[in-house]
Amino acid sequence: MTENHHGKGRPAKAAPSFLSLEEAEVDISDIRWVDVPVLLIFWVLMAVVFLQFFTRYVLNDSLGWTEEIARFLLILVGFIGAITATRKGSHIFLEFFYRFIPAKFGKLLAVFAEAITLTFYSIGAWVTVELAQKTKQSMISIDVPKSLIYWAVAVSFSAMALYSLTWLIRKIRQDSSQVVAELEEHAISE
Amino acid sequence: MSILLLFALLFGLLVIGVPVAVSLGLSSLVFIVTNGMPSLIVLHNMVNGVNSFPLIAIPFFILAGHLMNTAGITTKIFNFARAMVGWMHGGLGHVNVGASVVFAGMSGAAVADAGGLGNIEIKAMRDAGYDTDFSVGITAASSTIGPIIPPSLPLVIYGVVSDTSIGQLFAAGLIPGLLMAFSLMIMVGWYAKRRNYPRDDRFRFSIFWRALIDATLPLMTPIIIVGGIVTGIFTPTEAAVAAVAYSMFLGLVVYRTLNWKSMLRVSMDTIEMTASILMIVAASAIFGWILTANQVANEFAGLLLGFTENKIAILLIITLLVLVIGCFMETIAAITILVPVLLPVAVQIGIDPVHFGIILILNLMLGLLTPPVGMVLFVLSKVSDVPFERCVVATAPFLIPLVAVLLLLTFVPAFSMWLPTLVYR
Repeated sequence: MTENHHGKGRPAKAAPSFLSLEEAEVDISDIRWVDVPVLLIFWVLMAVVFLQFFTRYVLNDSLGWTEEIARFLLILVGFIGAITATRKGSHIFLEFFYRFIPAKFGKLLAVFAEAITLTFYSIGAWVTVELAQKTKQSMISIDVPKSLIYWAVAVSFSAMALYSLTWLIRKIRQDSSQVVAELEEHAISE
Repeated sequence: MSILLLFALLFGLLVIGVPVAVSLGLSSLVFIVTNGMPSLIVLHNMVNGVNSFPLIAIPFFILAGHLMNTAGITTKIFNFARAMVGWMHGGLGHVNVGASVVFAGMSGAAVADAGGLGNIEIKAMRDAGYDTDFSVGITAASSTIGPIIPPSLPLVIYGVVSDTSIGQLFAAGLIPGLLMAFSLMIMVGWYAKRRNYPRDDRFRFSIFWRALIDATLPLMTPIIIVGGIVTGIFTPTEAAVAAVAYSMFLGLVVYRTLNWKSMLRVSMDTIEMTASILMIVAASAIFGWILTANQVANEFAGLLLGFTENKIAILLIITLLVLVIGCFMETIAAITILVPVLLPVAVQIGIDPVHFGIILILNLMLGLLTPPVGMVLFVLSKVSDVPFERCVVATAPFLIPLVAVLLLLTFVPAFSMWLPTLVYR
């Protein structure tokens, strides 16, 4: 049978060629020692949820404490992970406005936005310390004070504030075109 | 401070490029403090906003997606789809849609689809002689199927924010996702006839069989996830855990593509993405609390119902509103801000929260394909080296079938509701 037996439509190659993937070298150069705590917490979270899954399906007897611990660890992954996101400037923000304004004004705006962000992280750290001091309950399934979560969040906010400060200084020092170029970079790196 | 000022402050902060989570948190903080309430409320709500078990599905689904991409599974799925529908008119266009459907059953984010599969798809289509615009357009459009077919990160967030069963939402997304694929395939067929696009050789069972064997193990992933959720065997979180376990098994044991270095890489990427999503969810908890406490939804409903009482008109207004907001705002942020305002209105005119979730997410997915904030277009522009503006123009025609499906789903609830009512009674 000829390749044209379907009628019109020009035939491509005789048989579809199978694609194979070329392995790219894995780059981990952006991972720092400060990321180690959140990596460990993340893996413990994975392990705890696996354990719950396993006990429910295989042993038919789910462990009660796993759910509360898992939620607790998720909060930690969220807030401590946010430190890494702040360090790398990968928090989600809208950058479209910067396309329509001159670079010079863009830099001014970016510095202003970073200053606001820094302010929020600082207030966040402050208020969470207060919250931690006022929290007296303990967690239900294990004997760990609930305030521990708030302390961890307070530390996270402080670290975010520090990284935000370094970003602020960096943006002030950079010239306008660099600042805007980095924002563009952020837009496509998601 | 009034609610109107709260929104003005929020949008002001968003526009000047303050992170979404900080914009939500700070505007709420200013509102709380100026209204004489203690600032502790803000942080208490933020931390407890992520204190939710369903949210645990998020890191697991993200991790599973990353593991799949690392294990070279995307290529196998593409080859499988090609052996199956490559012989049709405009073959690779159909392959593109088909591969996205399969990938949708493994990953929960449109952007992951565009970044992983999109790269392969556009390259293959260019090599086969398709014009770039068509290739980019169909790749962009088909990637929006991802968050409609389960698993879906946006649906998890919607479920948590609206207190709706995520299992039901997932089941509800399956048929709409397939409808989207079908509508896009009609579009591809039409283009292919008009432009006389190439196709692969006739369907050959031997080739199909080889691709099927090669892709059997990866294809089990969507079967485990979608099958498990739709039949109600797995809760969404459990499905996510199963997906991670299975993809680790593939990467570590079967294909041996994972080592400690790539494990570290995918873990870090997962943490970063999870954290930036959770921060938005956290901050939106306090924002949502303010909206609820001030009965914003009621006022909005009153405003809307005073304007018209026609259900269809109200649905169209909501759709239009979400479309416009979706063009400017990132998906997760849009869900967390819009749901407390719009859902009560929808419920008031008799729309099921599950049905509303599906149309809201599809609506927001269209925003990923439109400027100025079109995440999918940004990603495709990067992987295909086509300027952003050209991607916008190339994708525009494909919005027609997608909008048609959106309207169909909006006015025919059965497409979304049939499966969940069948499974969860």
